[in-house]
Amino acid sequence: MIRQLSLAAFALALSCAAVAQDAPAPAASAAPKPAPMLDVRAQPPIHGDANAGAAKAAVCGACHGPQGIAIAPNFPNLAGQSATYLYLQLKAFKDGQRSDPVMTGQAAALSDQDMRNLAAHFAALPAKPAGMPDAASRGAQLFHAGDPAKGVPPCQGCHGPAGQGPTSAWQGAPDTAWHTFPRLAGQSAFYIGQELGDYHHGKRVGVSNGKVMQGVAQNLDEADIQALAAYIQSL
Amino acid sequence: MRKLQLLLLALPGLAAGSAAAQVADGSDTMRVGDMQYGNAFDPRGWTPMMAGIQEGFSWLHAGMKRTPTGVPYPYPPQADDGTPLAPGSDWTYRGLLQLGYIHLNGDRNAEFFRQYSDWKNGFAPGYLGLMFDNRRTGEYVEFRGSRLSADDQYYRLRAGKYGSYRVEAFYRDMPHTVSTNAFPIWNGIGSNQLTLPASLTPGGSTPAQIAAASAAAPRRTIGLTRTRSGLSLEGELYRGWIGSAAISNEERKGTRLWGGPMFFAFNQLQGGINETVRPIDFSTTDVNLSLRKVGKVWRFVGTYTGSFFRNHKDYLDYQSPFQLQNVVGVPQVANIYQGEFSLEPDNDYHNLRLDLSRELKGNGQFSVAAAWGTMRQNAALRPPVTCTGLLGVDMTPIGGPNYTLPCADWNTPAALSQRNANARIDTGLFDARVNFHPSSSFGWHAGLRWYREDNKTRYLAYNPQTGQYGYISENGSQGSIVPGEVGIFDPRNPLYWSSNVTVRNVPYGYDDTLFELGGDWQLGRRDSLGVVYTFDHNEPKYRERKRVDEHRIKISWVSRSLGEATLRASYEYARRRGGPYNYDPYAQFFSEALPGFVDPVNGLPAHTVADMRKYDLSDRDESKARLIVTYPFGDATTVSATLYGNRDRYATPIGRQDTRSTGATLQWDWQPSARTTASAYLGIETSHMGVSNVGDSDGGAAGAALGTPGQTNPKLGGPLYPYGNQWWEFDRERNSNAGFTLTHDFGRVRADLNYNYSGSFGHVGYSYATIGALAYREADAAAAAGNAFPDNKYRSNTLELGFNVDFTRRLGMRLFGRRETGSFTDWHYLGFDQTLSYGQRIYTDKGPQHHYGVTMLGAMFNVKL
Repeated sequence: MIRQLSLAAFALALSCAAVAQDAPAPAASAAPKPAPMLDVRAQPPIHGDANAGAAKAAVCGACHGPQGIAIAPNFPNLAGQSATYLYLQLKAFKDGQRSDPVMTGQAAALSDQDMRNLAAHFAALPAKPAGMPDAASRGAQLFHAGDPAKGVPPCQGCHGPAGQGPTSAWQGAPDTAWHTFPRLAGQSAFYIGQELGDYHHGKRVGVSNGKVMQGVAQNLDEADIQALAAYIQSL
Repeated sequence: MRKLQLLLLALPGLAAGSAAAQVADGSDTMRVGDMQYGNAFDPRGWTPMMAGIQEGFSWLHAGMKRTPTGVPYPYPPQADDGTPLAPGSDWTYRGLLQLGYIHLNGDRNAEFFRQYSDWKNGFAPGYLGLMFDNRRTGEYVEFRGSRLSADDQYYRLRAGKYGSYRVEAFYRDMPHTVSTNAFPIWNGIGSNQLTLPASLTPGGSTPAQIAAASAAAPRRTIGLTRTRSGLSLEGELYRGWIGSAAISNEERKGTRLWGGPMFFAFNQLQGGINETVRPIDFSTTDVNLSLRKVGKVWRFVGTYTGSFFRNHKDYLDYQSPFQLQNVVGVPQVANIYQGEFSLEPDNDYHNLRLDLSRELKGNGQFSVAAAWGTMRQNAALRPPVTCTGLLGVDMTPIGGPNYTLPCADWNTPAALSQRNANARIDTGLFDARVNFHPSSSFGWHAGLRWYREDNKTRYLAYNPQTGQYGYISENGSQGSIVPGEVGIFDPRNPLYWSSNVTVRNVPYGYDDTLFELGGDWQLGRRDSLGVVYTFDHNEPKYRERKRVDEHRIKISWVSRSLGEATLRASYEYARRRGGPYNYDPYAQFFSEALPGFVDPVNGLPAHTVADMRKYDLSDRDESKARLIVTYPFGDATTVSATLYGNRDRYATPIGRQDTRSTGATLQWDWQPSARTTASAYLGIETSHMGVSNVGDSDGGAAGAALGTPGQTNPKLGGPLYPYGNQWWEFDRERNSNAGFTLTHDFGRVRADLNYNYSGSFGHVGYSYATIGALAYREADAAAAAGNAFPDNKYRSNTLELGFNVDFTRRLGMRLFGRRETGSFTDWHYLGFDQTLSYGQRIYTDKGPQHHYGVTMLGAMFNVKL
């Protein structure tokens, strides 16, 4: 069912969401050489023309909503997302580190500048308003403090205390490309649960940030994934 | 594994599988496991298991990582995912087996080449590493081992569960070669009974006979093997209380070059000097128990440490070939040829320590530690001598006194005031410390530390059989050469009632109190300043000063204001002063303090020159400066340089005058990627030491104050220590070293190149006021004295080149070569390549080779398991 739902249009996955992993694999006999890993650790922040991006965004809105708020819970919201993150996902679809029956085709036709412009457009849209998170929930505990006994680090370490992406104060910290980490707040529980499940099962490692999430999610069990997904949706 | 001794110690209540015990990693600590690991084949103990990482340091960070001061971290090894033990199993395993052949060519028996390794030609099992991991539960089992020979091998088994418990057992043999060029004349090498060969007569051989025996003696290697094994474990006992227990045992077996005195054998003195070989047969058992708890407020650590030393050969008997002859020319009635050393006794050590610490309001911390320890030995004491018949000199044939003693009065335990040592030293420690960081730009700390070493050992050298005091000197030989110098005091015998000899041990000890106050300031974003003041108050027992105080201040500055560079500079000044200096606090330990002592007619000779200040107690001004600059060039290159200097000046006319050391290092690191790394290092240090001393006026050109009323005068410039007898020593050393490493990963082939150089130079120069300062004052001896000993030099070069080739994913090979050369010159060994026999002296060790060169080639098959 997940596969069917994902056969929609413009689906930019979050770093902790990997619809593409559920796409059918090509037949073994015709398997192309895997694309080299997309290493984003030294990725500088990208810039694009939001207006030019808006002109090309109509097809994206079919799934992700005209204002970047997804029309169904299996699609991610794009509004207010990190531009660099959005650009890298498009690039990964185009270059083959990720594959999806719809997104691979959509991205194939985009130039590098198109991808930057689209990313700038959706990043400039207002994000979905905050909800009413339950600070006492298991999901809140995992998000803010992790579970050291199970080897789970807190999500807020990279995604910000309110799930709105790394805080601006971190941007000056050395070495880490914080701008490649996505905003999580307001994504649907269905979507987050699906992506965490993929990471838990060792999928989606074509982008170097996927290696980080693989380590985070491997110690989450199904109940924890559901609790986290519900909490993130309420942020 | 033939000597494997794994001693089991149960830790009750070890809760296998307990959740979140927060057991910290005890790797490389004595709490769990063994610090020393690896061998010459692989000093790190796990290099063959390491494959270079290709993805860098972290998925979060790009490029090379540096420490906060800009020094690059080495790239970590690649983690191997392992192979599942069975389909669906949570357990995975990975391993490596190395088998191959090593070929040595050249001076493979050279002492420095074999100092800490036992390379051999032929098949080498090499290395076996095997690891099992359960990624779901965090459990693991790990084995590593390597073997070069029966004397050079290690094995270690670890198992546990991350965050819960761990167990470790290990075994290793490590060789330590002292000499490969020794020619001892004795039979029984390695035992505690050295006997002369049939060609020599104990106490009656001529120098020619001894030289012939030495020339015929077979070449031997002198050294020992350290065999260490142990078992340790650590885990949660109850609700956050974590316990650890470790026991290890080290056996040291072998030989070591040793002495064998029969009094002086220079000039006209007909004693005997023997360089013997003593046995080494030690075992040391260490026990460490700890309990710790990190509570919400307090943190607690309790530790017991015990060490138990046993010497299975605690004495050495040796026969001396030399015929002794008294200096007065009367018939020699004493035939002293049997010598004995009492070697290290069995002893026990216990220490209990408690540490408490807690957080304080105002971003502070408080910690306090208290410890009590005791060292004890109560071994059976050896009799003062082993001779039979008489010792001493009988001068009655020339109308003099009879200075002989029956050996039977002294060669029995009945000659001792007590049968066992009953020795004991207790220690106490209290250490309290607070530190606060009231703001992000300022912090301060204060500490108070008190330590006591209380020596409770009291021994009186008294022979209840004879009523005499003292120690028979030099196995009885000294008194058998110089009349009266037997080493005893006898209040009832005029021959000995003025002998001022040692009769008691000196129970050295001290109390030390140290106060420290310091602060750190962050000056802006790029500079920080630290100041620490220390006051050290020491009260030594039975020493020349009852109080020694040292004030020390250290200023340190860290700056990143100079571009990308990190600069660390520090300066330290210390001023040591103390109470009045008593040049002779030891009278109470000599027979002069005993009832019945009669002052000599001309008074007691001065104990030593009153103007001397021993270096550990004398007034001293000390300065230390250090500058470290680390400069990163781009992402791949780092250059760092260090310059340092220490200066000590001692305020005394006699004794150590000054020490100076100056050094510099330069290091270059280049890590353009995980595939390629290179580094180079240069270091040099020079040091100087000046000593001033004075010889006493023992006769002739020296002033002849001994035996006259002037012998009681301890002052420099007096009759016993005239200015003309002053002499000065100037020591100079220079040590230098250099190194270069290069590694590159070509894909299927990984290459590594290493070069190391080490060199040292030592010069001992001297001057003297007049020939009165010399031991030999004849014209030819004075002319030959010169102004320095010959220089000592040592150099070594090592070049290594290795290739790791992967044939398949599992099969590979390591090919390596090593060329080591060295040169060595030490005047102590001059002439020994010709003969080891010099009149009444016989030596054993010819010393290291002047030049050596060894080539080693090896091929090892690697099989990944």
